[in-house]
Amino acid sequence: MIWKFLLGVYIAIITILAFVIPIGFIPGLGERARIIFLHVPSAWLSVIAFFVAMIYAVRYLRSKNIYEDVKSAASAEIGFLFCFVTTVTGSIWAKFNWGSFWNWDPRETSIFVLLLIYGAYFVLRSAIEVEERKATLSAVYSIIAFVTVPFFIFIMPRIMPGLHPGSKGDPEGAGPVVTFKMDPNMRILFFASLLGFTLVYLWIFKLRSRMEILKIKIQNKIYQEV
Amino acid sequence: MGLYEFLEKNSIYLVLIIALIVWFSVFVYLVRVDVKLKKLEDEFAKLENKEEVGK
Repeated sequence: MIWKFLLGVYIAIITILAFVIPIGFIPGLGERARIIFLHVPSAWLSVIAFFVAMIYAVRYLRSKNIYEDVKSAASAEIGFLFCFVTTVTGSIWAKFNWGSFWNWDPRETSIFVLLLIYGAYFVLRSAIEVEERKATLSAVYSIIAFVTVPFFIFIMPRIMPGLHPGSKGDPEGAGPVVTFKMDPNMRILFFASLLGFTLVYLWIFKLRSRMEILKIKIQNKIYQEV
Repeated sequence: MGLYEFLEKNSIYLVLIIALIVWFSVFVYLVRVDVKLKKLEDEFAKLENKEEVGK
């Protein structure tokens, strides 16, 4: 339990530093660039979570062990949650930077499509009652869904011109794109935040998996006794 | 200068306080779920051990 409390303190320190640390001058963004400490790690974490969901989906298809399916779904749920956090934080930032909450920028459109793709994954899971069938179909869907993730997160927003920093034609230094040319303070805090978010993800993932595994064990117990 | 006036002039600190409250709430929730889950897992394990000894 001690590492969890340390993680709590670590994230609190990151949060405080994210607001007070000097980040240097960023043209066109100024203090609004501080969103990078929350928004980008959330987006990154959603990619990691969807990747882990895909790995467990493959493992389920190989072993047909229901616990692998539970872990795959748990990771997809957390990925969806982080994806939602990314969308909301980005949308609030857009209001102050671009003038409106939603602009159908390629980056906004791609994350919206990603939310729809993984939203459909949960619809699929809830629509099938037979456990084995549900697990098999959602594992296949999870693998196919992840194929689209690199395209929507890394490729599409970079090959199309748009408002988001890092879009095609964006002049260098115009936005807080994650590069090793970033302000040193910003770079260190950004990677520290990324580490903190990853640890929080691992904690939630473990909790969610344990919860579902215990639920299955209790259900099996009741079934055996009846 | 009072706290209210300070926060009125430096609103970024108000946002910082809100962000800390949000993180603290999430953290307390996660710890509570963790503790409750551990308790349930232990109870379930005890129940299973008892049944195995009974056999």
